[in-house]
Amino acid sequence: MGPIVTVMILASTYALLAAGIVIVYKASRVINFAHGEIAVVGGYLFYSIGMFAPGSLWLAIGGTMVFAIVTGVAIYLVLMRRLIGEPFYVAILVTVGIAILFKAAIIIVWRAERVTINVADQIVAILPGGAKFSTVDLATIMAAVLFYIGLFAFFRFTQLGLQFRGMAENPLLASQRRVSVNAIMALAWSIAVFAACLSGVLYGGRALLSPGSVAIGLSGLTAALVGGLDSLRGAALGAIVVALAEYSTIRLIDPVLSEAVPFILLLTVMNVRPWGLFGTREELDRV
Amino acid sequence: MSEPLLVVEQLEVIYNKVATAIQGVSLEVHRHEIVAVVGTNGAGKTTTMRAISGFLPAEDVEITDGTITYEGKRIDGHPPFELSRDGIVLVPERNKVFETLTVEENLLFNLPMRQRSGGNMAQVYDYFPQLAERRSQVAGYMSGGEKQMLAIGMALLCKPDMLLIDELSLGLAPIIIEHLMETLKRMNDELGLTILLVEQNAMAAFAIANSGYVMEGGRVVYSGKVADLLAHQDIQEFYLGGADRASRSYRTVKQYSRKRRWWG
Amino acid sequence: MTRPGPFLRTSYLESNEVLPRPYHKVLVIIIVLMLLLPPMLMSNFYVHLLNTVLLAVIAVVGLNLLTGYCGQISLGHAAFLAIGAFTTVILTRMEVPFVVVIPAAGMVGAALGLAVGLPSLRFRGIYLAISTLAMHYAVVYVVTTYQSSIGSSASGGVYLTDPSFFGYELSDDRAWYYFLLVAAALTVIFVINLSRSRVGRAWMAIRDRDIAAAALGINVLHFKLLAFVTSSTLASIAGSLAAYYQNVVTSEAYTLELAVAYLAMIIVGGIGSVLGAIFGAIFITLLPYGVDFLFEFAPNSWRFGGRTFGVQQGMIGVFIILFLLFEPKGLVEMWRRIETYFERWPFRYRPLEQTRR
Repeated sequence: MGPIVTVMILASTYALLAAGIVIVYKASRVINFAHGEIAVVGGYLFYSIGMFAPGSLWLAIGGTMVFAIVTGVAIYLVLMRRLIGEPFYVAILVTVGIAILFKAAIIIVWRAERVTINVADQIVAILPGGAKFSTVDLATIMAAVLFYIGLFAFFRFTQLGLQFRGMAENPLLASQRRVSVNAIMALAWSIAVFAACLSGVLYGGRALLSPGSVAIGLSGLTAALVGGLDSLRGAALGAIVVALAEYSTIRLIDPVLSEAVPFILLLTVMNVRPWGLFGTREELDRV
Repeated sequence: MSEPLLVVEQLEVIYNKVATAIQGVSLEVHRHEIVAVVGTNGAGKTTTMRAISGFLPAEDVEITDGTITYEGKRIDGHPPFELSRDGIVLVPERNKVFETLTVEENLLFNLPMRQRSGGNMAQVYDYFPQLAERRSQVAGYMSGGEKQMLAIGMALLCKPDMLLIDELSLGLAPIIIEHLMETLKRMNDELGLTILLVEQNAMAAFAIANSGYVMEGGRVVYSGKVADLLAHQDIQEFYLGGADRASRSYRTVKQYSRKRRWWG
Repeated sequence: MTRPGPFLRTSYLESNEVLPRPYHKVLVIIIVLMLLLPPMLMSNFYVHLLNTVLLAVIAVVGLNLLTGYCGQISLGHAAFLAIGAFTTVILTRMEVPFVVVIPAAGMVGAALGLAVGLPSLRFRGIYLAISTLAMHYAVVYVVTTYQSSIGSSASGGVYLTDPSFFGYELSDDRAWYYFLLVAAALTVIFVINLSRSRVGRAWMAIRDRDIAAAALGINVLHFKLLAFVTSSTLASIAGSLAAYYQNVVTSEAYTLELAVAYLAMIIVGGIGSVLGAIFGAIFITLLPYGVDFLFEFAPNSWRFGGRTFGVQQGMIGVFIILFLLFEPKGLVEMWRRIETYFERWPFRYRPLEQTRR
């Protein structure tokens, strides 16, 4: 029971990140290499707001949410939109640039300190095996589950979700059919950045945030790739796979090697089934 | 005749700052009319269509001269999104449907939730019964003719005042082309829909059009009522297959080396 | 016979010329002469700076082959530099002479390139980026383990003695300068000629439309591998030279930021052009020093807490984004604009893009 819960908590973090990557990829075929960095900055921001106004949890939440939405829209409007029509690697390189910027921001603004977010961390249950299951852990799992349910409902049942799917396939046609491509892309980026910040904040509540934490972005990217870059349910499953692999490596093989697990998984997926578990094969060619 | 709905005057479009695609192109579309623009490949029809529907700025292409006016307002250079709100809806030549969505989802793309079972969808199904049969089929697996029907159906649901259709007949069997043209004529009669057709298949286009324009080498070389066009000897020879001698070479057509000039 | 205007090439021979205009040839002679001067005129610090730039040039023209001509993104450049450096360490501990080590390092790099490239180049660009990302961490892990196993010195890292090149010992910065100048020149000439050959044309075909290239009978995988292996060989050689030059090798130096810095050189300089790669190498190598220089004017409190490092990193990110947004063809395009302005004066119209390459 205990290990399963731990894996679920880890998987939830990765699932949120993977969801963001998949949404951006579905909308624009861009693989966002900056996701981990954005998540960690979100965590740091939450921490700073909390330090600035201690006790007001909602202010911190609200502030980070505003940051997430504004950043997402800004990334699209200011940067990505101008890259339409350029070869695919240009957008990816821009996300690499963004990653560098965010990481540099951590060093400049927060002086690369290691911080933890201390939110009323109550123990909810003691699991078999002695591990403590706190409110933050519960929040992580709940957040991931609710987020995914919300996303599925959005894509399945709302007209905006339908227009998103259409735009993802054929932006030109969508534009001719009165759908504002810019609005939907900005929305996609906002949702993605929001998911990243959510993941970063919850991660910060459990573990230490440092410039090195951006590595969770890599695990998230692996999760997305394993599941298939254009599939949300693939992202969820991929997150579980990555979390399981990392946890097993820590417990059964060698803790130090667990850093290498995402890469080994990446290489395996790349060679065995590059389009992931649920991805569409044609997507591979488009990349 | 009423005021023209769309007026294109002396339009000039240049690619990459050096290659003139169309020059001095003028045309008029009146309300409730069906207008056909015909010509061979490279005549400039698609460029004209793109200029009207707002797709040019996406590449290194510029409108360097002339105006496009719709309902009295200038629309050259406006993006497609704005134009479709004004009532100009384009059915493009390629990629005209969302291949990963079902027929119903394609149609619902522009329809707010409450109108789903309402009149508009029923209207589309009335014009295209085949679509009604294939409601849940994924659009990518349909035949070319069915996709074209779906594309026109989608365009109808955008509540267009003027429909621009680019190369409707490409890749379709003659009987389907005929059927589609008849359906368009029906829409024109019943809904008063104004239609601008760009076509290589001049015969099919002139079958339903009221007036037409013939383009060659980036210019409009002949225009007028369809009855006059059909009677014109050069058009008969070059576009309608009415030659009384052995076939002409492509080169002959392109280089204007004909006995009768267009202005004769 | 009269020459056509400055922007019309009328024969294949002409379009393949490296220095088409007379003033190009003059310019090159002047630059070569100028390049011989620095050690005589400048202090050691600047010569050292130039040496760093030259090492970067050797490494980056290889990457330009892969990214610029063949259109593949690789994040593995730091790993190949590390491979070159650590091969050097291993071989010098076995008393292998300098002239053997350099090519050997190149071959090890080539072998690794082949091993990594073979499975990943079957697919398109982004998958190579991910594979090389994984390769980077794997290589860093291996060399770090090796470094701790042989026991590094107090300040970390392994020391190397100055190499002797056919009996002449390369210990002095100035001697290194001439050596590196020749090495860089040879590398640049090699790369330029490679890009003008059948191989280079195949690469450009793959970059522009690989399906069409395959339809024309170009074995796409073969040429992509060739590009990747060439770039990794050159990078390993550069890493080996850098190891000898700096006399010390530490595994911490080979970070992902370094790999991104090399990509930044290509982006800022101009993707797909050797001149661009050189411009980019100069720009990005000198950037940290520029930031340092600017910081001397900043209030003291700003300098602590590692802020300079953060700003240096941040500036690379800023320039990547700025250039990709506003000048995607890089510094070399700015140069070409100036060039064509003077060339076609007093005419004003821009020529078609295609005739300029």
